[in-house]
Amino acid sequence: MTTPIRIKGFTNEVLGWKPWLDPVDVATATPAQLAALDEMSPQARTSPYFLVLAHQPEMLLQRSIAFNAIMFAPGGMPRAERELGATVESRVNGCVYCASVHAQRFEQLAKRSDVISQVFEEPASAGTTAREKAIVEFSIRLGAEPGKVSADDVRMLKEVGLTELEILDLIHSVALFAWANRLMLNLGEPVFPPAA
Amino acid sequence: MTTLNDTSSRPDVIDATVPLAPTQATRALRLQRDKVMAATQGSYDAMFSPSVEGLPVTERLLVALHACSVSRAATLAAHYRERLLAEGAERELVAAVGSGAPVADARLRTVLAFTASLIERPIDGDKAAVDALAEAGLSTPAIVALGQLIAFLSYQIRLVAGLQALAAAEVSQ
Repeated sequence: MTTPIRIKGFTNEVLGWKPWLDPVDVATATPAQLAALDEMSPQARTSPYFLVLAHQPEMLLQRSIAFNAIMFAPGGMPRAERELGATVESRVNGCVYCASVHAQRFEQLAKRSDVISQVFEEPASAGTTAREKAIVEFSIRLGAEPGKVSADDVRMLKEVGLTELEILDLIHSVALFAWANRLMLNLGEPVFPPAA
Repeated sequence: MTTLNDTSSRPDVIDATVPLAPTQATRALRLQRDKVMAATQGSYDAMFSPSVEGLPVTERLLVALHACSVSRAATLAAHYRERLLAEGAERELVAAVGSGAPVADARLRTVLAFTASLIERPIDGDKAAVDALAEAGLSTPAIVALGQLIAFLSYQIRLVAGLQALAAAEVSQ
């Protein structure tokens, strides 16, 4: 077990999440609610976050399909880089919970965490290669100032070797976390593990 | 999930706000991620479904217009403005919400303030803001619907911005 990263309130440790609204009770959930939870993941039935979202089963179902289609689609941008885009968006929005989950997924896929420390420290200058820097920069821009994203931003990504499908995958990933962060930040709060 | 099979022939809201010719590369690119296309439209349909209780469709469309206006997402704002007028919403109210002018109704004022805050400063979200929605008369499922809607709009605004940039890069090559 390596030492966890803890920088500026962000971490790659496993966090909990406490909802501000009553979750759906699995025991009395409707078939539509259970189907939406199961579409998300095998663990969703025990997650306070997904159980809160299950109050609106059709919204959760469609969001779950979108989430899995964006993060797991074959080909295109390597999955680790989609997780990096997600982590950057979460860092910029201040979503400590999302940042921890997707920092962990990046590390599992990329087998390294150097760029995660950089993103937590200062996203604007993060990236261990020209390609990674361009991905981080674009993620910040689309996340913070979507109205200012232009053809020039797309060309910068192409210059460091991204294909059009990779760029679309990155747009999807950053946009998806604009969505996810806002739910996590506004329907509950992260719970930190007890100090060791 | 038959909708997954015919996305290429069914125009969606993203097509309406980022018009792409069938021969355009960005159109073909989008089709490579047809599951995302279908789930994006499926989410839109769910967000504005009349079967969701406790948050009238007109109120949801006003939230969407406000979210797109504060984000300066002009083409999406125009889409929601058109839908509102088609639903028979008062022109004055639509104009006020689109320009950020104050509205008279206390519940709508609370809902729109929550919308602007969640769109622009998501980190400011706290339990007091959620409690204020409950005090304004929103049930727990209605608050979840509102949160999902605003969060989805944040996604839609960035997806449209990204596709517009891809299409512009294609034209200017």
